[in-house]
Amino acid sequence: MKKTLSILAVIILFTASTFAQGFKVKASGEQTFKFADNKNQATFFSTTPFEDITGLTNDVKGSVSFNVSDLKTLNGKLSVSVSSIKTGIEMRDGHLQSAGWLNAESYPEISFEIKKTSNIKQVADNKVTAKVTGNFSLHGSTKEVVADATLTYLDASEQTQMRAPGDLLGVQAKFNVKLSDYGVDNKLVGQKVSENIEVSVNVVGSNAK
Amino acid sequence: MNKNQKNVLLIGIILIAAVLIYWYTQGAEIFTKSQVLVDKTTDLDRMLGVENKEYVDKFVLGLDYAGGFSAAVAVLSGILIYLFRNKRKKIR
Repeated sequence: MKKTLSILAVIILFTASTFAQGFKVKASGEQTFKFADNKNQATFFSTTPFEDITGLTNDVKGSVSFNVSDLKTLNGKLSVSVSSIKTGIEMRDGHLQSAGWLNAESYPEISFEIKKTSNIKQVADNKVTAKVTGNFSLHGSTKEVVADATLTYLDASEQTQMRAPGDLLGVQAKFNVKLSDYGVDNKLVGQKVSENIEVSVNVVGSNAK
Repeated sequence: MNKNQKNVLLIGIILIAAVLIYWYTQGAEIFTKSQVLVDKTTDLDRMLGVENKEYVDKFVLGLDYAGGFSAAVAVLSGILIYLFRNKRKKIR
């Protein structure tokens, strides 16, 4: 009986280590990456009958933590300020941030809080793709969304120092949101804005303390 | 049509054509923009699997301003052509 249990334990441990997907890099254990520099960006893409609109902000802040060898442990939060979103037309930026639309005064922040990570696939030793489920908060409403994410880990080097000290984590994630789910009226400067908006995040974080 | 009217018509057509050609070469945008999106992705960004785009200050003429200007030129030309019309002398 003891022998059977021991074999079972070994099999479970082996299976767990085999399926724990993570980075194969120099670092190990729990790592926290902070997103702080002004090159980080979040964008939204929308269409109208007249033209496509790309909104962009470089005011992305937050952090993520995870065990390097097991990305299922990924957790953290990213947020952007509504007042920093630009669309290329000042008047339209004003409308976007006004009470009739995103209401930057009452809801100054848009955020994404990670809940779980699934479908983790190893693309390279330092790169994985995954489905990241999280709570997306916009205009005072919070809904669960699933983002397609690519995470790339770079060990600290001369080249990475040009961006930030420490190891770097690049995160590219995309997901769609339905404006009506968040109580946002889909009219912007008289144009009918598409009901579905594509949100993209391109951020680089550092684990330097 | 007298000489003055022909000159006004010619100048109006040239102004409208110039504005519309400029608008077309600027990308034929519907709305005038004060900033444009520029790709500033570096090699390090590519290694990290991220893109880096930035809005930079640049005036891009849209059809809103170009059309408004063209309409104003057309109206002004019409008024001037009307004012420069030949006045008939009354025959007694």
